[in-house]
Amino acid sequence: MNSLKSHLTLVLSLIAILLSIFLFRIFSQVMHLYQKNIVNNYSIVIVSTKPITSLNISEISSINPININSEIKKLKEKYKNIDFSNLKIPFFYKLKLKNFPSPNKLQEIQKQLKNYDFIKKVMTKSSSQTKIYNLLILLKTTTKIFMFLIAILGFLLIIKQLEVWKLLHYERMYIMELFGAPVWFKGASLFKIAFLDSIISLILTMCLIFLITHSALFNNIINELNINFQLNYFNEIILLLITSFLISFISSVIVVIGKK
Amino acid sequence: MGKLVLAKNITINYNDTQIIKPSSFSINSGDFVFLTGISGSGKTSLIKTLYAEHKIQSGEMYIGEFNLKKINKSKTSLLRKHLGVVFQDFKLISEWNIIKNVMLPLLITGIDKSNAKEMAMQYLNKVKLSHKADKFPFELSGGEQQRAAIARATIHNPVMILADEPISGLDEYSASLVMDLFIEANKLGITIVIASHSIPQNFDILFKQLHIEKGKIYELA
Repeated sequence: MNSLKSHLTLVLSLIAILLSIFLFRIFSQVMHLYQKNIVNNYSIVIVSTKPITSLNISEISSINPININSEIKKLKEKYKNIDFSNLKIPFFYKLKLKNFPSPNKLQEIQKQLKNYDFIKKVMTKSSSQTKIYNLLILLKTTTKIFMFLIAILGFLLIIKQLEVWKLLHYERMYIMELFGAPVWFKGASLFKIAFLDSIISLILTMCLIFLITHSALFNNIINELNINFQLNYFNEIILLLITSFLISFISSVIVVIGKK
Repeated sequence: MGKLVLAKNITINYNDTQIIKPSSFSINSGDFVFLTGISGSGKTSLIKTLYAEHKIQSGEMYIGEFNLKKINKSKTSLLRKHLGVVFQDFKLISEWNIIKNVMLPLLITGIDKSNAKEMAMQYLNKVKLSHKADKFPFELSGGEQQRAAIARATIHNPVMILADEPISGLDEYSASLVMDLFIEANKLGITIVIASHSIPQNFDILFKQLHIEKGKIYELA
């Protein structure tokens, strides 16, 4: 029973840490894809008195002219008394950005654009953009705090478990030491427990990950966000496996080399 | 016989209190030594010093080529591989069965499990415990546990066996059996050092006595 408890504490702590790492990574990936998606659909419209091919603003990824011929044609049909050939029509451009801008960044870009004499008007979707951006930041921050708290709790549980392990294994390791056992020999059974618990934790975490990523709720959210999210299970297993092994190996080394 | 242990003007402290005052003694290879003294005289501390659990405070002490004043962790491990230690409370690993406990020194030296098991069975046979090989320590009497501990202390053919009060608490029959095992090991050339408050009656083989009195170690012929 005690042995089961001892396994459970480490397994549960590891699951908490692995799951928080996974969720943090997934959330960051989803956010990144979503930001990319927004930035793809986001643009600044400018009106210029002369043709533009480039602007010296690092945040701008492309400058695309807006074809206004069809609009002019409509106007010509509507206002037949106006001679459009004598009118000097300005140039319209759609500016794509490299990254999703923060409200401050957007203001800065606007300012930089207005510094050009030939740019007469700058149009941004600032109000809706600010709302989305603030929501994203809020989500990102709360998720970070939540995952951080879970990871801290996991580590606290592991530290508690280390104390229990020290008491449980001290006598055996001391006797081994009296006969000249090296560190790896003294810690062998502890390393085995740690290895086994890492594997169990990884399997259980992967099961939870599979359930989460195949749940209707998760898929609905991904569909709603309209992003192309693909989870590389192999990469996740490798990352979590290494993390799990490292945590349990370091914990057992601390017990083996630590004093009672 | 060459000197196996050489102590020159050693002092030993325990919790800042000097329990062994400057003393010198030596133990030859193959000696049977009784370390005597009243309770609290420093017998256990001296035994602990001999297996490098305690450090000497001053003076010089050698076991073979190991300088106990300057011994580090890896050399301590190496020294202990050449020693066998027997304790009053046996110090058998409670979650291991008796045969695995006896196998311990061989497993530490890297002997494979099947050979170690075979040898452990032979030694358990010697101490008349082969029928209890699969039992756990708590299933054995004190005398049986001490015999198992002696089998463990001798299996790797150590240079010296250090025994701290190995027969106190045992009944007369078990104590006599345990002493016979030490004598047998000594006949094989193993140096024996037994810390005990007294020398057993009718002990009829040649032995050396180191007596601790008021913190000083005296070599008695």
